[in-house]
Amino acid sequence: MSARTPLTRREFLETSGAASAGLLIGFHLPSGSRFRTAAAAPLAPNAWLRIGADESVLVIVDRSEMGQGVTTALPMLLAEELDADWSKIKIEFAPADKAYANPLLFGMQATGGSRSVRAAYTPLRKAGAAAREMLVAAAAETWGVDKSACHADKGAVIHAPSKRVLTYGKLVAKAATVPLPHDVPLKDPKEWKILGTRVRRLDTPPKVDGSAQFGIDVKVPGMLVAVIARSPVFGGKVKSFDATKAKAVPGVRQVVQISSGVAVVADG
Amino acid sequence: MPPITFTVNGKSRSVSDSADTPLLWVLRDTLGLTGTKFGCGIAQCGACTVHLDGVATRSCVTPIAAVAGKRVTTIEGLSPNRSHAVQKAWIAEDVPQCGYCQSGQIMAAAALLAKNANPSDAEIDAAMTNICRCGTYQRIRAAIHRAAQRA
Repeated sequence: MSARTPLTRREFLETSGAASAGLLIGFHLPSGSRFRTAAAAPLAPNAWLRIGADESVLVIVDRSEMGQGVTTALPMLLAEELDADWSKIKIEFAPADKAYANPLLFGMQATGGSRSVRAAYTPLRKAGAAAREMLVAAAAETWGVDKSACHADKGAVIHAPSKRVLTYGKLVAKAATVPLPHDVPLKDPKEWKILGTRVRRLDTPPKVDGSAQFGIDVKVPGMLVAVIARSPVFGGKVKSFDATKAKAVPGVRQVVQISSGVAVVADG
Repeated sequence: MPPITFTVNGKSRSVSDSADTPLLWVLRDTLGLTGTKFGCGIAQCGACTVHLDGVATRSCVTPIAAVAGKRVTTIEGLSPNRSHAVQKAWIAEDVPQCGYCQSGQIMAAAALLAKNANPSDAEIDAAMTNICRCGTYQRIRAAIHRAAQRA
């Protein structure tokens, strides 16, 4: 499944250039300590977080959803340390890029072997924690208070002594100017509010109204579609074939023999 | 060839696909309604299930000529904003895993409930012949019961 409007690398770079649009944090797996704002270093990161001035929290998921729940599990890791409002989390799939290689899968941009959560477990939490620190620092600066007197909860920074609250969306512009913190301590699992709980799968709604996009639903300009006729017998090879009738079907471009049978290539 | 006219999700549509083109491909390729899925192409798996005059129908083996003048409802037209009782129940039970078969499952369940407002487990099993490779059958059954309670 894919979100309807995947963020392309170009769009990412364009968005990251507009600092006022929100806070963008790129990070590298597995070394989550090498955080850089995309605006300062517009390089393709492995996975990203974008918080909008409209309070949206976009998590770019660099693994395939095959029903295993990875498009919920990976955002949970990030949202926990970000102290995000889970109901505001949106997801998009990462574009194809070397930066999204899975370090536990031979450096391929691949999903499998129960290695998605394992590879993302620390880096995604560190990414969320660093973003939260930047938002807290931005709020403390706005209020002229010590940031140790502030804490984050459900998408907002709170200054308990004065009962002041600023939501993340209102803080993103200032937070984008805060130097990236390094080695922000991660929560003790006893403090977890999202991880370890049962949350709604983020991929369910588009799967009940037909809007979820699968491979078969993707169209690209000039795309052709191939259908393969395979041997009904295991290991059977093509001896010969007559493409006359297939080629007479409107839209059929070519009929070619391939190792596993005969492929009919037609307009998409 | 003369255009074939039928109703899709409440709107009249005319298509000029050849008469033997399966409804599935007219919906997906000609009309751009990709929520209905291709699975087996031989009416076995049910991924392509739509409603034809309210009856659950496997669109992969339904020639478009057979649909002339009829009323087709696809997953996109089941409700606005996922508000059909079956869709709400599907969300409440978090039924889908990969999700590929679920449009067909939901259309089959909606057709079942339209005929039988409170089906038993046995009636659900008899009516729901769609295949789910992830094996979400237990939650499908639970969601149908839930939808029946709310309907």
